[in-house]
Amino acid sequence: MQKNLQTEVSQLLEEAGQFARQGKREKAYQSCLKATTVAPDESLAWYARSRNAPSREEQLMCLSRAYSLDPNDPETKKELHSAVHTLLKQEPFLAYVYETEQFYQVRSGRDLLVNIPKNRTFETPYLKKRPGLAQPAFRWLTFAVLALFLGGVGAVLFAPVAAFQALRLQASAPTDEERMRLLIVFILSVIIWLAAIPISWLLLIRFYPS
Amino acid sequence: MLVRALYLSALWSAISLFATLIMGSRLRRSDSALSLLWLTGVILAGNLVAIFTFGRLLEIFGLSLLAFIFGLYWIVRLRDWNAPGQVTWAMTLITTGLFVIYTFLLTAFSPLNPLSFVFALMFFFLEAITLMLALSHMHESLDVVCRLQWHRLVEKLEPVPGYIPMVSLQVPAYNEPVEVVEKTLNSLAGLNYPNYEVLVVDNNTPLQATWRPLEEICRKLGPNFHCLHLDQWPGYKSGALNFAVTQTDPRAEIIGIIDADYEVDPDFLRELVPAFANPQIAFVQTPQDYSDSTGDTFSESTYRGYKYFFEVSMPSRNERNAIIFAGTMGLIRKSVLEEIGGWDEWCITEDAEASLRILKKGYQSLYINRAFGRGLMPFNFEGLKKQRFRWCFGGIQILKKHWEALMPWAHWVDPENKLTLAQRYYYLVGGLGWFSDVFNLLFAFFLVLGAVFNLFSSPIKVRPLTDTVLIIPAVFLFLHILRFIWVLRNRLKVSVKMAVATMYNFFSLGWAVTLACIQGLVQREGVFLRTPKATTSSKAWRAVQVTQWETAIGVMCILAGLLAFGSDRNWRTFSLCILLIWQGSLYIAAPLYSLLSLKREAALGVPVRVSERGKPVMEQLAARWVVAFSMVLIGTFGLIRFLPSPAALPDYARFLPFDLSPGQTVGREPNATRTSPAIGTTLATATATLPSTLPSTVTAKATVTVESANCRAKPRTNGGRVTILYKGQEVDILGRNDDLKNPWWYIKIPDQDGNCWLWGMTAKMTGSVEEIPVVR
Repeated sequence: MQKNLQTEVSQLLEEAGQFARQGKREKAYQSCLKATTVAPDESLAWYARSRNAPSREEQLMCLSRAYSLDPNDPETKKELHSAVHTLLKQEPFLAYVYETEQFYQVRSGRDLLVNIPKNRTFETPYLKKRPGLAQPAFRWLTFAVLALFLGGVGAVLFAPVAAFQALRLQASAPTDEERMRLLIVFILSVIIWLAAIPISWLLLIRFYPS
Repeated sequence: MLVRALYLSALWSAISLFATLIMGSRLRRSDSALSLLWLTGVILAGNLVAIFTFGRLLEIFGLSLLAFIFGLYWIVRLRDWNAPGQVTWAMTLITTGLFVIYTFLLTAFSPLNPLSFVFALMFFFLEAITLMLALSHMHESLDVVCRLQWHRLVEKLEPVPGYIPMVSLQVPAYNEPVEVVEKTLNSLAGLNYPNYEVLVVDNNTPLQATWRPLEEICRKLGPNFHCLHLDQWPGYKSGALNFAVTQTDPRAEIIGIIDADYEVDPDFLRELVPAFANPQIAFVQTPQDYSDSTGDTFSESTYRGYKYFFEVSMPSRNERNAIIFAGTMGLIRKSVLEEIGGWDEWCITEDAEASLRILKKGYQSLYINRAFGRGLMPFNFEGLKKQRFRWCFGGIQILKKHWEALMPWAHWVDPENKLTLAQRYYYLVGGLGWFSDVFNLLFAFFLVLGAVFNLFSSPIKVRPLTDTVLIIPAVFLFLHILRFIWVLRNRLKVSVKMAVATMYNFFSLGWAVTLACIQGLVQREGVFLRTPKATTSSKAWRAVQVTQWETAIGVMCILAGLLAFGSDRNWRTFSLCILLIWQGSLYIAAPLYSLLSLKREAALGVPVRVSERGKPVMEQLAARWVVAFSMVLIGTFGLIRFLPSPAALPDYARFLPFDLSPGQTVGREPNATRTSPAIGTTLATATATLPSTLPSTVTAKATVTVESANCRAKPRTNGGRVTILYKGQEVDILGRNDDLKNPWWYIKIPDQDGNCWLWGMTAKMTGSVEEIPVVR
């Protein structure tokens, strides 16, 4: 079934190509239109339709669709950029609709939905960053540091918990980076613990000044 | 010995800094022999003072030897600096280090109850961090004024034949007045560079009437000018700039960011683009300059305040490839921007944040200290306050996100992190530096509390207020103020008056920075400051109203200081009063500058918009958090009095550093008795009125009945405190005054040599009054 569909689309696109070469734009467009109807998820069909589209708006819509189906095709990207550029020359208005890691979807001043490539690596946004493996250990370490500032007794208790968490998580650390991070947490916990002991002692002797 | 070492090193610091103030910028030769000579001279000069005041020869010799070795190390390390810079840095480090050790010992071994100790410990950490930040400022100042050899200084780039890459200049705009943007675009049209485009990115401007004319202007300026209006766009300026990257010409290799209110010099691109011929250069930054910087004190001091960053911080950072991308008037390689994922949309100082990620990838940056454009400064003090709030908030956001990448072990955790130690240091200090104003407010708060408790003669204390604790920070404060004025004068070429005005302009924004630091810590998303709404049409009243919190804090500090001194006139309350007046003046500067900015307002006429992004945070609401926190602190502080203080001098107090009196430090009392600061240190030492006859055997004793009691040099309330005695302490009575209705006991100080006067109402006497001799 899938194979038949591909064959049919290929035939339609080939036909469109021939019509285009003969200068029969309308017929070429009809073939492409049929191809996109038969296989709406075929980026090539949308790209071919864009090349024969009767209006700039439709050309933009088709390129946009082709791009969203195959964001890695350089030709589609290039032509989409050029089409958007032309559109913006006429009407420099774009409204935000949504975005993915690959593209923005925007609405033009003429109510066209256009996908625009981002062309950049995608870094997980700060707010959506997932907590790392070492987070529980880090949390206890933070408590230990705060407790150290407040007399040290809390740090004597929290630092070993942080160290224990770091050791426990070492076993399940998937990467060398995480393992190193946990090792650092462990070392810091030990240092804080060692610093907390004399400070706690200084606090505790104040309960028994004699 | 520690205290003597501390005073000696403070002397060295002061001498070397004074010498640096005079010679630091003039001595333009670097020579090891000269540095050694300078170091020896400073040490000997300090020793000379010490020998005739408080010093002991052997100690002085030992300390000098150590200081010499330490100084030698820094002379070798800082070969690019001149001798005054090297020696001042070494001496400042020694003094700071010794003071930190001193305050730790004082905190650790003072006879305090547990709650006082917790407060004292917090105060110690606060003090230590503040001193570290002060050191970083000192380093930066010396680095730019005393540096003789610059390794990365580029004054002018040589053109590279045939290298004319395409540049896309992006002009982000939000609700900008058309005439302002038009000037900017006209200046860009006149750029002396053949291959560039200009993309005006207007984001979320609500009225078509505001942004539509930009389209027309771009059309008139030619095919290289494009206009884009983004509606309902997320991510504020960085969101718009990220989208703008998708619309740059595919041939563009370099992106330039120009604020909508900047008029750019024709040579901007021609002069800077050659830097990108080096593929390692990822971004180039030039100073931001302003066209409306003259005419009144507010404008001029604000202008110098901005210049400080570009004349002092950036050159120093540039030496270590650690500059920040400051947005406008900077160029960035497009491929690198795409590689790092574009501008971060959560951060309100996306430019500085992006530069950190670029450096993290191992790229190079370049700072060229020559202004190529002039923009507009905030319209008035309110605008300046909001701008500073935004910068600080962004700085804290960066610190929150990247702190791990700035740690010394960062490279082990993330091998991809290519930040050098110096880069990590500069970015870390840059972020932490904002907290100086928070600490400053906390210090003011502690000082006010100290004054209030002193006013009510409350026995509450957090840490003994020893002479050293008063003298050394005062010396530090004085030296750092001098250093700040000196660096302003040297780098910005301003008069002393303007340097002081600039310094106060900086400090007047301390409250806004404090609020931003707190908000930056508790808020995840970007916020902007909304000052109190105007309740009057009077501009002057409005100017004061927007600084009501600063005014309140300033007045409180000054009043507390004056009242403390007025009620108990001695040199300690005098010092406290001076410190509080100084702190108060920093906050009082805010309403003053706000009023001064009225002149600027009147001259400019039309307000310049301050871009506000994120959700608003009401100043009143943010300030309430500060007030609530202060109340909690005061409440907890008050609890101290319900916990008993040590009844007698505890054993651990023997580890306390011995203090010197101010008299000893200036040589008036070379043989004065040393007393432990924990029991209150010596203003008058044990030089109380000497009795004509003292009994050979003690016939009476006094037991202190209050939490703590002052034992004085003379039998009166302003008789100069010699020491403090604690509840339950039993002392031998040697004599008394001749007024039995208001008795004062002349007692022997326990465990020490010396005597003092204890007020009868604070102690219970056992024995026969008749047998106690009257002392006159």
